[in-house]
Amino acid sequence: MEQQSLRTNDFLENAVKAYSNMVYRLAFSQTRNKSDADDIYQEVFLRYIKKMPLFETEEHRKAWLIRVTVNCCKKMWTSSWYKKIASLDEITTFEMKEETNLHYELQKLPMKYRAVIHLFYYEDLNIEEISKALNQKPSTIRTQLTRARYRLKEILKEDYDV
Amino acid sequence: MFREKYRSMNEQISPDQKLINKIINSVDGPKRETNKAKIIFRKPIIIMAMLMVLVLTATPVLSANVPAVYELMYLVSPTVAQFFMPVQKSWENNGIKMEVVSAYIHNDTAEVYITMQDLIGERVDETTDLYDSYSVNRPFDSSATCQRVGYDEPTKTATFLISITEWGNKKIVGDKITFSVRAFISDKHTYNEIPIAVDLTSIDNTPSTKQVSRSGGGGRKYKEYFPNSESKAKVLVPTVPMKFPVEGIDFTGIGYVDCMLHIQTSVMDNLTKDNHGYFFLSDKNGNKIQCDYNVGFVENFDSDDRVDYEEYVFDIPQSEIGQYSLYGTFVTSGLFTEGNWQVTFPLEEIKNN
Repeated sequence: MEQQSLRTNDFLENAVKAYSNMVYRLAFSQTRNKSDADDIYQEVFLRYIKKMPLFETEEHRKAWLIRVTVNCCKKMWTSSWYKKIASLDEITTFEMKEETNLHYELQKLPMKYRAVIHLFYYEDLNIEEISKALNQKPSTIRTQLTRARYRLKEILKEDYDV
Repeated sequence: MFREKYRSMNEQISPDQKLINKIINSVDGPKRETNKAKIIFRKPIIIMAMLMVLVLTATPVLSANVPAVYELMYLVSPTVAQFFMPVQKSWENNGIKMEVVSAYIHNDTAEVYITMQDLIGERVDETTDLYDSYSVNRPFDSSATCQRVGYDEPTKTATFLISITEWGNKKIVGDKITFSVRAFISDKHTYNEIPIAVDLTSIDNTPSTKQVSRSGGGGRKYKEYFPNSESKAKVLVPTVPMKFPVEGIDFTGIGYVDCMLHIQTSVMDNLTKDNHGYFFLSDKNGNKIQCDYNVGFVENFDSDDRVDYEEYVFDIPQSEIGQYSLYGTFVTSGLFTEGNWQVTFPLEEIKNN
């Protein structure tokens, strides 16, 4: 079993390394552009380093990072600064054309549904786990997920089995 | 298929190594908050604005209905009422005031009394329900429940008791909490175990059916019939609403499908109503038979014409159905009020001794 360093700095560093991809991908799933995802990523981990929260389990740490990432995204969208700027069109390409198309199609999905879709389809969290991570009632998450999937079906038409 | 494509697309997204190094280096770096604080406090106008907001919104307000809430607290939980500490922070929006009256923090649980008062109309009544529109923002994992515990007619004030439990048996003190409400429903009507006038002996056993994606469901055999989340449900094709004693819920179908009794209701634009209920059968001895499962599905999703359907399925042979009568219990609401109410307050434990 891997030994965990007791030094705070090592501990923080290990957590940053372990959850970098998760936080960044969740941020990207919502912003759908890398420059905003960069900002969110930095904000989340700077909060983590500043606050140094203690968790009893890794699940709690993961849930905390998910919640803070989603909150940072919401904060960015509602900030008066963000509302006034016009973002540059960022060209993001993936290995396969289908994936690139999917990326652009997903930009049509309303912001409010992006987190649940990502947590459900990518992080493989169930409704209970998503509700705990986002601190929402399971019924709310279930409704959001149902609506999100319907909206996805509309957006993606027959191309994908959602 | 979507899951695989979505996964493959995301696997190609990663933060730049320089960005990761920047964060890791900041672990040893200078305290950022000091710089941030300096920047903020260089701008007196921001301080003034913040003070104005604080004075206008978060100043404790002594309201006329507070004594009534304290009486209620003694009524609801007499043994712990004395431990509740006054908070009295309020927020007003859309002519409705939400006030956090008092809180009792002990071990991993916080109990909070809040009131909702309509200052300009009669939207808050004795049936007011926050349903799932409230949220509790906490820095740690927690779960919360909310129940209406009282209503004061003269001041049009409804009182709710919120109970928040920290996960992992962790002490809840030493932090703050934000309680917010986005909407509530009121003017609710309850139809309790009313008879439904349907001739069960002449039910169509060849009704039109269709396959639908489920939006939800329940019942004791639900998991038996739908073992995985993807499986579709066979439901009645909705008909023109038939005669039904509940205003706000339409009776859109009844029939035998695959030897099982299907009963269908629908509600237009139910996101702003939360009208719901259930059917049951009663035999000649008065024994109640609940449905084996029920499924929900939606038509015209995300449009103004959205319709939420609920179908209840009973596994009773058609040859025996004449021995039963159909009943139902339903709750409907007449008023949906939206707004934005939120109060942040500190969590401080009360010393019992």
